[in-house]
This record gives sequence, structure tokens and C-alpha cells, in this order.
Amino acid sequence: MNAWHPSDDVLRLVLDEHADAQTDEDVTSHLDECELCQTRIEQFAESSHGIRESLRRETMSGSLALDTPKLAAPSETAWLADFAVSFLQPTDQPDAIGKLGEFEVQSVIGHGGMGIVLKGFQPELNRPVAIKVMSPHLASIGTARKRFLREAQATAAIVHPNVMPILSVSESATLPYLVMPYVACRTLQQRIDTEGQLPITDVLRIGIQVAAALAAAHRQGLVHRDVKPANILIEPAVDRTMLTDFGLARAADDVTVTRSGVIAGTPQYMSPEQARGESVDARSDLFALGCVLYAMTTGRPPFRSETSYGILRRITDHPHRPMRESQASVPVWMDHLVYQLLRKDARNRISSAEETQRLLEACLAHVQQPSIPLPSEVMASKRPNIRLAILLTVLVAASIPLAAINLWDRSRTTKPPFIVTRPASHPSSTPSEAVGPDFVLAGPVTESVWDDQTKNETTSLAEIDSQLELIQKQIESLQRSLDVKKQP
Amino acid sequence: MHSPETRPSLIVRLGGAADQSAWWSFVETYEPFLKHLVARQGTPPSHVADVTQQVLISIARSIDGFSDDGKEASFRRWVHQVSRNVVIKYMARQRKQITGQGGTDALLQLDQQPAIDDPALEDQYQHELIVWAAEKVRSEFAPTSWQAFWGTMIEGRPVAEIAGELNVSAGSIYMSRSRILRRIRLVLNEVMQ
Repeated sequence: MNAWHPSDDVLRLVLDEHADAQTDEDVTSHLDECELCQTRIEQFAESSHGIRESLRRETMSGSLALDTPKLAAPSETAWLADFAVSFLQPTDQPDAIGKLGEFEVQSVIGHGGMGIVLKGFQPELNRPVAIKVMSPHLASIGTARKRFLREAQATAAIVHPNVMPILSVSESATLPYLVMPYVACRTLQQRIDTEGQLPITDVLRIGIQVAAALAAAHRQGLVHRDVKPANILIEPAVDRTMLTDFGLARAADDVTVTRSGVIAGTPQYMSPEQARGESVDARSDLFALGCVLYAMTTGRPPFRSETSYGILRRITDHPHRPMRESQASVPVWMDHLVYQLLRKDARNRISSAEETQRLLEACLAHVQQPSIPLPSEVMASKRPNIRLAILLTVLVAASIPLAAINLWDRSRTTKPPFIVTRPASHPSSTPSEAVGPDFVLAGPVTESVWDDQTKNETTSLAEIDSQLELIQKQIESLQRSLDVKKQP
Repeated sequence: MHSPETRPSLIVRLGGAADQSAWWSFVETYEPFLKHLVARQGTPPSHVADVTQQVLISIARSIDGFSDDGKEASFRRWVHQVSRNVVIKYMARQRKQITGQGGTDALLQLDQQPAIDDPALEDQYQHELIVWAAEKVRSEFAPTSWQAFWGTMIEGRPVAEIAGELNVSAGSIYMSRSRILRRIRLVLNEVMQ
């Protein structure tokens, strides 16, 4: 077969798909074997060097890569990634897609509503870096740009092991950017996506570190505003958690909420005051931290809806679903702790990030060493405790004559009637049904207890449920002890 | 792909009917590329059509300066040269725009500015053309042909390896990748002259 070589004319015809099917087939199978013709046909493709170089450079941004579907209409995220390539300066480095200042840019790591993250290399210091570039539609807005720089500089001032350090900030470039160390890590969002709910010790460990990072930021007067799993990085090797993306959040806020009235990205971790467009302070971050703890514990954020607007409405107007309702294995105290961060009114939340950190640490200590008591703050909250005490006192008071009736009954008949079971079912049934003179007295007291609870709008159903459960148990044990006394 | 309202503003005063039709056929091929480039310059999707039209209008205005040099395809060569200059000016502006003035008003004056001689931007223009042409050509070929081309020529993997992976003969890989390269070259020639 090698003896026969197609002529130049034939090759050209085949290349242009003008040859008949038989010739096409013959030439193709000839190419299988003949290196000479493999070279020849490639020469017909003409000066392809430039094309190949360009496309190679392009692979780095991934828009033409093999598996990605062809972009029919450019989406908001796609143009952002493409954009990364278009504003870079050309470079001589073979493994770089371009240059940005002194950095050789190697690839696009990711992008979000606020900007693009590039992987770069700093030749002078021989180290890899992550470069976060402000996205052009934000950079063209003067106030957003100024904020970005100011906040980035403020973040650079926070030196804390759980805050992603900022190595430098550049404002002279057409698009402002900041440089951070490149750390091989994944985001908490990625971890939740792959693993679902996390073990409670991991939830607490991560929560402690995020709270510590927030405490450090808040001490500098800096509010993060965008605490969410995607902004929490986890270094797998050392199990360190780092909070990132301080300045961008603030800068984006100017545009997305106050300017256009449209919220970019996911509002799932916003606080109610943020969702309403009001001014926010450090306590807004604590609400977001509560959402993050919730998402880690259950695998899903607390406020979900089909639309952004729906999520915002849930955040502002609806209580979250207690975690124990969907995951029975979640400890009661965890629900209590998260509940105290997810209070709609910022004034009712745990007072500070430090305090939150302290509570989380105490909870972790308890999980690791159950003999260490839980902090009282995460036990049943104070008011229900008082209520419970009143209720129990009432019930005990009621039970004594009951026991007496019971004994009296027993002395008269062999089987006690249903009266004995009444106290147990009493709180959930209509309380005013008089069983005996003592219950007439007990009725109004219990009623006022429940009235008080319904007046408190933020009290969740689960709290009531858990109270009921407790009461039930107390009563059962009370009855048992009474029974034991009766029949020693 | 043309929006009807683009047309009136793009009418240029040209002497010959041949040049008129050359202009329209130019718009036909050039506009898709321009859209691609404008999008990749960081223009939000909702503004791409608008900016593309502004750049085309700038090109159309510059064409008024055309005079026939009597050589072959005079008008085509001219229009390609003009559009290239205008687009490079647009790209340069795009780089500065973020700090300075922006919007379509600024774009309208592109044709009144001196040409820019910046090798980096020339490269960028070339690069964008190639990427656009490759994307266009990609849709003309079977996915396996494209994968064969991409895997061997761009990613530089051995032909035998890709052949095994795609379950095709080595000969067909040589054939399809040469065909693809040739098509890309032809598409580029259409626009670059």
C-alpha cells in the first residue's frame, strides 16, 4: 500500500471534502501507514502554527476544551471567565496564559459575582499566588472600586490564622486586584456538596475557626457581609479553616443591593437586616454563621426557595425549620445554639463572635468529654426553664392529692379509673376540664403558661415540642416513683 | 443573526453596486466575530448587541474615506484594514475605560481617533479571531473529529493514544485534524483577507 501515494491534487480534493467516497476512504487508510503523506497532508493545512499557539493558550481558560459544551449564548459566568484571558498581557512563559503586573497567570481558578480568581506565579519570590481580580462591571463604578480597595487594605491588616491573608493590593491596574497565597484547599461548599451533612465535631471545629476569624475582623471594625460556605476554605492537610473574601463582599453590596435592587449570587446566607437592605453590623455576620452551622449540620441551608425573592422572604418573615425535625440525630443543644444565632432581631442574637466562639468551644469540649457540662446558654433557654419549673411545681402539687385520690380509689375498687393518666395528657388537651377540685386550681396556672408562650412569636414549634416531651417524661417518672411508693 | 434595526445605521455611501454588496457581505461575516470579541472584552451579555452595533457604525463611518486604488478587491482590503483599526482602538479603550469615561458615547468617536500601534493589541485581535474561527468551525465537524484534532494538535497527545481512545484509525485522525485546521484557516482568510 505504501507504494502508492496520492497526488497533491488528490490530497487537496480530499481535504476540501470534494473527493468521492472511495478516494476519501483510500487516502484515509493510506494515511494510517504512510508517514510521508501524514506530513504532506499537514502542509496543506498551511501555516497552522499561529492557530495552534492561540488555541493552546485558549485551553487554559477552558472555553473551547473538549468536554465543555459549546457556548450557544454567553452566560454571565462564561463571559467573566473568558474575560480573564482578554485583559491579561501577553507572556513568554510557555505554561502561562498571560501576565498581570509582575505575576505570570497560569489558569482561572474560579469566578463569582464579584470577580475572577486566577492562579498565578510570582517569579521574584518563586511562589504560587491566587489573584482576585475585581469584575469589570463593578470596577467601572467609582464607589465600588474605592470600597474594594479600602476594604482590601483593611483586610490586609487582619493578621489571624483563620483569615486568608492578603499579600498585596493593586489599584493602579485597569482592574483592581489583590494577591493572596495560593493554598491547595477546597471550600466548605464543595465539602458539603460532596459529603452532605458533616459530623458534629467537624461542624464545631469549623464553626470555632470561622467565629475566631470573625472576632478578629470585628475587632478591626470590619464586617464581612458575605459569610457563606463558598467563602470558607478548608486546608485538608492541616484541617485549618480560613475565611476569605472580605472586601469584595462590601464592594458588591453597593452595586447589587443599593444600586440596582437586584441581588447577585445566592442570598441564602444573608441576615434579615441585609435582606431588607438596612445597614448591617457585626451581628449580621453572626446570623450568617448560624446559617453556615445549619448547612454543615444538615447538609442544607436553613432558608430555601425556588427564587431569590422567595429566599429573602423566608429569611425576613419565617422561622427556620429546627434541625432536629429533619435530622433526629442532631443534639438538642445544637438546635438551641443555632437558634440563638438565627434570631431575626439582631439584638436577640448571641452578643459577639467571641462569645459564639466560646460557646462552640465549650460544646466541642462536651462532645469530646461528655463529663464536661454544656454551657447553660445552649441548654433550654431561660424563660422556658422558669415555665417548666412552674409547670412542674403545679403538677407535683396536683399529683399529691391525685395520688391520694388514687390510693383512696384503690382502697375502694380493684382497678383505678383513667384519672391516673390524666396529668400526662393534660398539657396538650384542653386544660380547663375539671377532674377534681385541685385541677380547677391547676387549670388557670397552666393556661397562663401556654398563653405566654404563644405570645412569644419567635418561639418555634420544636421548642414547644421538646418542652412537652420533657414534661411528659417528668410526669412519667413522677408517676413511677409514686407507684413505687405505693407498692414497695 | 442581524437585528433589523441595525441595518439603516449601517448604510454607507459607496460608489459602486459591487462595493455595496461587498460591504453587506463583509457585515455578514464580520458581525458574528465582533459579537464574540465584544463579549470577551468583558461586556455583560445584555449589552453585547448594543456595543457591537456601535463598533460597526464606527467602521461604516470610516469607510467614507475609501478611494479605489484600482487593484483587485480594493474595497475588501480597505474595509478589513479599517475594521481592524477600529476594533483595536475599541480594545484599547476597553482597557482604559474602566478608569476613564465609558459607555456608548465614547465608542461613537472611535472613528475620529488616530490609529493605535500596539503589538500586544494586534496579538490580541489575532487571538480573538482564531478563537472565534475555531469555535465556528467546531460546529461543522463531528465531535470525534474535533476531539481528535484537539487531543493531538492542541494538547499534544500521541495520535495512537487518541485513536485508541476514540476508537478510530490513525489515518482518520490525520485526515480530520488537517481538515479542521484548513477550515479554520479559510474562515480566518474570509475575515482577515
